Amino acid sequence: MLDKIIEKSRIKSPWIYHVNAGSCNGCDIELIALLGPRFDVERFGVKLTGTPKHADIVFVTGPVTAQTKDRMLRVISQVPDPKVIVSLGSCPMSCNVFKGSYSVVGPLDKWVPVDVSIGGCPPKPEAMIDGLIKALDILKEKRGVK
Amino acid sequence: MTSYFSNLPIIAILTPFLGAFLTALLGERKKLLIIEKCIPIATTFTSLTSLIFLIKPVLINKYIVTYWMGNWKPESQWAIGIGLEVDAFSLFIGLIIAAACFLSAVYSFRYMEEDNGLDKYYVLFQLLSASMIGFVLTGDVFNMYVMLEIMTFAAIALTSFRNHIYKSVEAGFKYIVIGSLGSSFILLGTALLYSQLHTLNIAQMAALLHGNYTPVSILALAFMLTGYAVKAFLVPCHTWPVDAHMAAPSSISMLLSGIMSKTGVYALVRILYMIYQSTGRPEMEFLIIFWGAVTMLVGITMAVVQTDFKRLLAFSSVSQIGYIMAGFGVGLSVNKGVAVVGTMGGLFHMLNHAAFKSLLFLCAGAVLHQTGTTDLNKLGGLSKKMPYTTAFFIIGTLSISGIPPFNGFVSKWLIYQATFEAGYAPVTIIALIASVLTLASLVKVIQSVFFGQLREEHKDVKEVPLTMRIPMMILSAICIFVGVFPHIVSKYLIEPAAFSIYNIGSYIDVMFGKGYAVKMFKETVSIPSMNYTLAGYWNPASWLILFVILLIALILFFSFGYKTTNSKVVDDLINTRYETFTGGEKESYNHLGENDMFWGMRQDFGRYFKFIKNAHSGVVNDYVLWVVTTCALVTIYLFTLM
Amino acid sequence: MEVLKTLLQQMFYVLIFPGFLFCFIFGLFLSGIDRKMVARMQRRIGPPITQSFYDFFKLVGKDHIIPRKASKKAFLLAPVFGLISIVIISLFIPIFGFTFQESTADIIVILYLITIPALSLVFGGSSSGSAYASIGISREMVTMLSYELPLVMILLSIGKKAGAAINGNVTFSLADIGKYQSLYGIIISKWALIPAAIAFLLIIPAEVGTVPFDAAEAETEICEGPLVEYSGLYLGIYKLTQAVKMFIMGSLFLALFFGGSGFSNIFLNIILMIIGVIITIVISVSFVRSILGRLKVEQTLKFFWTVPTALSAISLILVYLKY
Repeated sequence: MLDKIIEKSRIKSPWIYHVNAGSCNGCDIELIALLGPRFDVERFGVKLTGTPKHADIVFVTGPVTAQTKDRMLRVISQVPDPKVIVSLGSCPMSCNVFKGSYSVVGPLDKWVPVDVSIGGCPPKPEAMIDGLIKALDILKEKRGVK
Repeated sequence: MTSYFSNLPIIAILTPFLGAFLTALLGERKKLLIIEKCIPIATTFTSLTSLIFLIKPVLINKYIVTYWMGNWKPESQWAIGIGLEVDAFSLFIGLIIAAACFLSAVYSFRYMEEDNGLDKYYVLFQLLSASMIGFVLTGDVFNMYVMLEIMTFAAIALTSFRNHIYKSVEAGFKYIVIGSLGSSFILLGTALLYSQLHTLNIAQMAALLHGNYTPVSILALAFMLTGYAVKAFLVPCHTWPVDAHMAAPSSISMLLSGIMSKTGVYALVRILYMIYQSTGRPEMEFLIIFWGAVTMLVGITMAVVQTDFKRLLAFSSVSQIGYIMAGFGVGLSVNKGVAVVGTMGGLFHMLNHAAFKSLLFLCAGAVLHQTGTTDLNKLGGLSKKMPYTTAFFIIGTLSISGIPPFNGFVSKWLIYQATFEAGYAPVTIIALIASVLTLASLVKVIQSVFFGQLREEHKDVKEVPLTMRIPMMILSAICIFVGVFPHIVSKYLIEPAAFSIYNIGSYIDVMFGKGYAVKMFKETVSIPSMNYTLAGYWNPASWLILFVILLIALILFFSFGYKTTNSKVVDDLINTRYETFTGGEKESYNHLGENDMFWGMRQDFGRYFKFIKNAHSGVVNDYVLWVVTTCALVTIYLFTLM
Repeated sequence: MEVLKTLLQQMFYVLIFPGFLFCFIFGLFLSGIDRKMVARMQRRIGPPITQSFYDFFKLVGKDHIIPRKASKKAFLLAPVFGLISIVIISLFIPIFGFTFQESTADIIVILYLITIPALSLVFGGSSSGSAYASIGISREMVTMLSYELPLVMILLSIGKKAGAAINGNVTFSLADIGKYQSLYGIIISKWALIPAAIAFLLIIPAEVGTVPFDAAEAETEICEGPLVEYSGLYLGIYKLTQAVKMFIMGSLFLALFFGGSGFSNIFLNIILMIIGVIITIVISVSFVRSILGRLKVEQTLKFFWTVPTALSAISLILVYLKY
């Protein structure tokens, strides 16, 4: 019975952490705006945490630059399981306009397994919320029992 | 009267003296070193057992043991010889002293291995223990002075024992100057009293001084108060123990800080309660409580800004002595019910302070022994290498802050209740603030020394050997036991001592024969027994429930590990999963030590801290000026009000 | 037989009401109500009231990571001791005349037991071995220092007022304070103690650790302060401790200022207490949280040692002058 409660709670309370891997800050601002009064993802139980060790869902923005690659990997490795990695915006999907630059080392799924991708530059807030719901579904599937 | 136990006090005093002379005779030969190390353990153990045998007659049967040295009994109700008189209060302190000396002897077995000249160390150590026990067991004022001098000079020599370090020699010098000043004041006071009363026996002085004070005796009181205030380090005579406790070897620091201060407090209590019978005088009550409150505050303010481990512990000792004096100050109150609570609080805090301060100093000694430094800015992260020391230090910290299951809570609670009921509410507030500041300064030490990140040069530090851990274990066990069962300790130790402080009639009677004192002290003060309601909340049913809670908590702790997923994600790419979060940077040494703790508070109160820090200038002349000023102020106060 | 009955009764008090289970449920509800009220004040919908339950159970099901630099035993034991002590306090606070465990020194015991959860945060943070945690514990100690002073003065002034009428001197027992209130009327109706009540309401956010006094656990500046390395079950225990502390502080406020005998039926008293605690927490925690920003820790110290201290000192002096 405890398992059922835990499973339900996992969907109802996703805590997010946000990593900026070289982005232009457009998607970051949109993400923070989601927590404001107009779009209010807090009604889904979402909370922005200050440290990756408290987080369930990791949002990564920006094409992965050479300087941020190591740091992003270190931070993501410190997120406890079960976790979902969401790439936000078109930059992590395909490097967008920065493709081929000397400092960009490639789209995100070259380095970490990405579960949900949200496209757009920046994505609409409704699209971001849609991606968040999809992430919740994937989180539900990543169940794990003792 | 001349049964076996009247010889026990003299055995307790003489055995360490004989041990000292024997060790001196053996000299410094390598083969005899092991014997020399065992002699102090044997002698202090003998003292301890002889005092334990005295528990039954004195504490349980309420009998007072006397012994006249050289059999010079009093002639026609006038005391001629030196008398040892052991009542419950003396025995209580004597037990604390003997037990601490024994534990210190066991600790210094391994602690002092790297020093040479160890025979001199053991000679001085045994002189120190013997004189401390002699100080509390004697019933003669001049004998107290003699024992005090032996104690002081043994302590001075032991402070500067490591005389290749500059700090030790400077500390010894300061101690000589200020300590001698204190002793001179005591000698002056004793001489004045002798010229007035023509006797040196405490009991007889109490009988002769009953109720009529002459100006000479008031002046003598002022001198003796100041002198013993230097010994018991009340502010502003508190400047010598800071250097002395820092520089002395840790097994001696524990004795100086935890035990020698108690002898000063013992003497103050004897003077105020017995010789001068000031119970019921509001002006003396105000003086002692005010002195205690100032000591609490100044001591702990300086402790928060220290950068050396042992100096910080010495300053917090100063602050705890303030608590004890505030407790005894309330004991002088007119309202007998409140006064008894105050005295019991003071007595209990003496016992507790001896236990947890010794424990803290022994842990400091362990750290010094293994790493070679006590500078808070140069240590860090030792809990992984020295887990036992960390655990004992945490127990000591929780005790000194007064957290409930440990012993500090009981005595601090008694002192709060006593000061509040006596009408001194500001003192209660100051006491609580000092308690939180004590916690803050010790958390600073824990963060800088034990938790945090390990330095490169301390990678090979190991845990201290077993003989050094045994005294720490015993002291922690005492802390926990006294905290959980305060009524047992109170029934056998504290209440008889409090009874004997107030009802001094029987003390005088034993010397002079029955009936002498009855005409003076008609009423006896009864001491309430400390059942569980008085000590807060420990009754057996609660304890059982607490145990059940703890059991459930531990079950939660161990079995609730709901392991989640089975998907091995690619986070093993760089094996950084188990590092601390640094925002993605590579892990490096970023230990936050002493300098950075409470930075904001120290900035905000910058002027106050700077004023007090600059007042402690380190120049001996200033400190001497303070002592003399104290004497002048006390004299003026006493003359205007008595 | 008597012993068995007492034992069962004590176990009921400790485990069900007002022990573990009641504190657990009601505390988490309070935390959820607080979040909902803040959201409503900010014209949002906000999370459901049962959100804190979901948070807690999610954390139970998460993996926990213990960093290499941490001292493992202290790291794992610290949250447990915090939780135990805060649950024990709930046994000492009377619910409108019905006490579970009384002694003559309730207030001092409660005062010390309330510092244990903050202390467990300090020890937990210190043993993580992280630099962020060290800053957090330094700020936590300064915050603790700042709110102890007015709290002590409030408790002493109430003790003096109640004790003067009950036993001629002062009292430290909550049962006596309750008796005084049932005889002479609730304490907040005595005008000399109204500043003390306001000061107590100002202390509640600092004790609970919420904006504007939560510099110790600042999410954005120092990455959650002492909790930076915690994850999984132990983080859940810390959040639970914070939630239960809200309940304890609200209940203490009611017992000190609005206590007495209430109704004669125990169930009505419990409902009255629940409503009272919810109103207290909403006023002192939620309203303040949704308006104000976070203070620096030096500003916290300065604030607490001027405004609430002055208010409670006024109360203390008025009580001593026998008003």
